[in-house]
Amino acid sequence: MVKKMTSKRSRSKKVETCKQATSLIMDYLTGEMNSMTKRAFEEHLSFCPDCIAFLRTYKKTIQAVQSFFDTIPLKKKGFQQTLKRKLKKKIN
Amino acid sequence: MIIIASLTTTVAFIKYLIYFSIFFRFSSFGYTREVKLKTKPGAGFKQITKTKEKLAEKNEQILIKGIKAGDQKSFEVFFDRYFSKVYSLAFKFLGNAADAEDIVQEVFLLVYKKANTFKGRSQFSTWLYRITVNTALARLRQRKKEDKVFVEEYMPKFNNDGYHFVRPVVDWSQDVDKIVTNKQLLNIVKNTIDQLQPLDKAVVILSDFEERTNREIATALGLSVQAVKARLHRARLFLRGKLAVHLGHSPT
Repeated sequence: MVKKMTSKRSRSKKVETCKQATSLIMDYLTGEMNSMTKRAFEEHLSFCPDCIAFLRTYKKTIQAVQSFFDTIPLKKKGFQQTLKRKLKKKIN
Repeated sequence: MIIIASLTTTVAFIKYLIYFSIFFRFSSFGYTREVKLKTKPGAGFKQITKTKEKLAEKNEQILIKGIKAGDQKSFEVFFDRYFSKVYSLAFKFLGNAADAEDIVQEVFLLVYKKANTFKGRSQFSTWLYRITVNTALARLRQRKKEDKVFVEEYMPKFNNDGYHFVRPVVDWSQDVDKIVTNKQLLNIVKNTIDQLQPLDKAVVILSDFEERTNREIATALGLSVQAVKARLHRARLFLRGKLAVHLGHSPT
């Protein structure tokens, strides 16, 4: 079973088209890609400016999402204590 | 005479210097210094961190015992410790303070009432995290659905040969900050995140805000790792497509 899982994980994937490259972007960015697939992915990028542009805008999207989450306002002062009092009432 | 005397003093002084250096080399002070140099850099800090972690764990176990026994003081300490984490996660899911406040109350009440069902197979904080995620997700699912969004419209499209349908693909990654203000960009992102299906939104929050691994997200949401990856990728493609269209480009 373990052997099967390992061989499945390490199986290299073809990267001949932009469609294949797009489906592998996430694995490429997180490093969850074996060296053969990584090489094939980067080889595709080396002659495909469209996929380079796609990859850059995909990364920019992740950055935009992260910066959005960073702007969530902090709670007001005293809010925590008010909520704790409410909770204590509910418990009792 | 004076010269001989000064020479004798100098020789004596050098002798003392040699004795002192020999004493210093073999004394415990010198030995300690050598041992210190032999240890790996940062090893001391690791030890301190480990001790702190152990203490925190012990502390946590005492707290859990207290909560299980219905001790309010333990519950209050627990609330103060985890309030910020629960609140900010709930806020990310629901987008407003009123709903986040409701979730915080619901979560901590559940913890108080169901503490006895905690078997200790995972950390208590992990248990709390799962309760928060699932409570917030349930609330998100209750919300009235807005107008249907045609997600496919914002997905990349490909020709039969597998190449991008619209070429060239424009690299707007550098322009985005010049074309829209930061506030506008955040508004687009907020609106788009709100248009995601609840489960997809949960996956994006847990991955991009909480920085949880795909395995952790899968466990918290009861999905397979593969399903988490697929949902995350699809959500990001949708977000990317929305941004591209907003900037006047094709999603492809």
